[in-house]
Amino acid sequence: MKKPHNIFKKDPNRGLERDLRNQKLIFWLFLFPALFSFFMVQIIPFAIGIYYSFTNWSATAQLSIDWVGMKNYIESFKDFRFLYSTMITTIYTVLNIISVNVVAFFLAMLDTSKLKGRNIYRAGFFLPNIIGGIILGYIWQFIFNQFIPKAAAAIGFSYFSTHLMLGDVKTAVLAMVIVSTWQYAGYIMMIYVAALQNVPADLLEAAQIDGANAWHRFKNITIPMVMPAFTITMFMTLVNSFKQFDVNVSLTGGGPSTTFMGIAIKGTTLLAMHINETSSIYLNTAQARAKAIVFFLVIVSFSLLQVTLTKRKEVEL
Amino acid sequence: MKKLLVLLSLFMVFMSLTACAKKETIVITWKQNKPEIDAAVQAYAKAYEAETGIKVVATSCGGDSCNLGDMLKADYQAGTMPDIFPIDGIAAYNDWASIIADLSNEAWVQQTSVAYKVDGKTVGFPVAVEGWGMAYNKDLLDQAGIDPSTLNSYAGYVAAFEKLDGMKAELGIDSVVSMVAGTSMNWVTAHHNFNSLLSNGLAYGDLSVTNALLAGTVDQTRLDEYAKWVELLFNYADQTILTTGNYDAQVGAFLNQKAVFLHQGNWVDGNLTTATFKMAFAPHGSSAAVTDGIFVSPPAWYVVNKDSKHLQAVKDFLNYMVTSASGQKYMVTDAGMIPAFKNITLKPAGQLSQSVQAWVASGKVYSWDQYYFTDAFRTNTLGPIYDEFAQKKITLTEFEAQMTAAFIANKK
Repeated sequence: MKKPHNIFKKDPNRGLERDLRNQKLIFWLFLFPALFSFFMVQIIPFAIGIYYSFTNWSATAQLSIDWVGMKNYIESFKDFRFLYSTMITTIYTVLNIISVNVVAFFLAMLDTSKLKGRNIYRAGFFLPNIIGGIILGYIWQFIFNQFIPKAAAAIGFSYFSTHLMLGDVKTAVLAMVIVSTWQYAGYIMMIYVAALQNVPADLLEAAQIDGANAWHRFKNITIPMVMPAFTITMFMTLVNSFKQFDVNVSLTGGGPSTTFMGIAIKGTTLLAMHINETSSIYLNTAQARAKAIVFFLVIVSFSLLQVTLTKRKEVEL
Repeated sequence: MKKLLVLLSLFMVFMSLTACAKKETIVITWKQNKPEIDAAVQAYAKAYEAETGIKVVATSCGGDSCNLGDMLKADYQAGTMPDIFPIDGIAAYNDWASIIADLSNEAWVQQTSVAYKVDGKTVGFPVAVEGWGMAYNKDLLDQAGIDPSTLNSYAGYVAAFEKLDGMKAELGIDSVVSMVAGTSMNWVTAHHNFNSLLSNGLAYGDLSVTNALLAGTVDQTRLDEYAKWVELLFNYADQTILTTGNYDAQVGAFLNQKAVFLHQGNWVDGNLTTATFKMAFAPHGSSAAVTDGIFVSPPAWYVVNKDSKHLQAVKDFLNYMVTSASGQKYMVTDAGMIPAFKNITLKPAGQLSQSVQAWVASGKVYSWDQYYFTDAFRTNTLGPIYDEFAQKKITLTEFEAQMTAAFIANKK
């Protein structure tokens, strides 16, 4: 006779327990490749790098790796090119954050309005983001150096045919902002579009009925409700502007030279490029590592500060 | 469970089969730094394998897209250091000194006078011989009635440039010289043109000026004459190409006969294959005195990794390149390089390469001394000074002052 099936005893090979266990397994199985790669490619090298920044590591066939303590960090802060790069990167970041967000928000407003052909615009604005930074830099270099001067000469604006944007430091920074905005605004626009679409229409209608004009509705309803998006977009543009490298290298190559503290230096060498140069050209790999860690700490602090500030202004429905 | 066992045993069978099929072939790795000859390099690697049975894996790393120094460091850290790799001077040698093999007893050493030697040991196989001077368009000079043999002093060039500048419309040129000084091209100013200050007019291998500058002592007369030469080149160059032009723009202007002179070396022969005019090299006019010679040297030397698994095969590879017909064909005919070895009688096809060979044959050569200064000093300290001068942001006096200050700050 078969044993009666006890409906009160839980069978670990059936039912809810098995499903939960399977779900956990599937969860970790899917997460494992990404987690493993992240650990191997980012976490472990980062930790090893922290160790190297306190030594005289040069990545070549050196006879021994010696501990030098804080020497690399102290020398980094004494390096006037590091100071210049920090300064120019900060200026570039501020300009870029404003530029990208203003353009992206404007495009998002256009996109959520009743304009015809919205879907085409949406795709078109997003396309530049897909082109890699290096190719973008070379294309725009051609536009700034060849196309604009010749076009300007053809229509009579001879100033632009003799004063190239990439020939002067100030305008070269603006050129980088233009290229970076062109590349990135579409991506940020998508975030704003999603946020704008979540502003409830009935709230706006009610406000309109109560007599609020377009500007009041915008300022008191739309902006506070879009604030979570601002938190995200400010964070992304801040971090990406600080880390700017490929457009920098391909568009200006470190830029036209300028004079800083009485010495001629390359004028648009942003921080990431400067750190790369410290390793590749100055052959000071350990000091480059130290600068990279300082760079990381600076970005983390700015980001935390920014996220804290904007999170306070968010309004939940 | 059963399925797993079956899979596992199939896997084992497969592995053992492949293990049986593998044979011990010798593979040597060759890294070279001229990406423009990569096609010739790959063809030669195949030919070498066909003729000797030894597989050669050749990779090219150089130019804008690949930094050789970084690549070698990455290879070393990964444990895949190449068997043969290039060095260009003492700084690169010092980085890898502990793994570089002594090649003093190799057969090819007798055939060349420009091998790389350190402390009496021969360690570097000269890749080629390269040279630069002022490349000129012979047809345009003839049209203007200028004799190239007068182009060997500052005064000679001043006269020629003034005459050519006055005939721009007649000759159909945009500028007299095609010169660059922008950030990405500062190897032309801070590496090559800078060398005129170091070795123009001095005996080959004479390091007196170089050592004085490294010690922070600046001969103001020599610097002044050199600065005037730089100013002359900048004034008579196309300003757009000078400040923001790239390699293609600079060489293209010369190729299209929009400039009479080109400040580059014989490596541009590869870009000038469609040229319809005669060309050759003239000396630089960076002194008031006559300086009748051009700058010639191997651009790099191959060194051998002494920890290579197949050291003898690697050494044989280098000997074969010099002695065999296919090796010589690769170096001269396919890669268009000037050979650094006496026994090779082939001549490269390019006009500028033949001009370099003519200057070498007459013994009128000056050395390349710029590598005694670090890459960082040339690229990031001197380069911007030339750039500022080219943009007319500083005067001649300020240029000389900033150069002097840079040498004093660089004092070892």
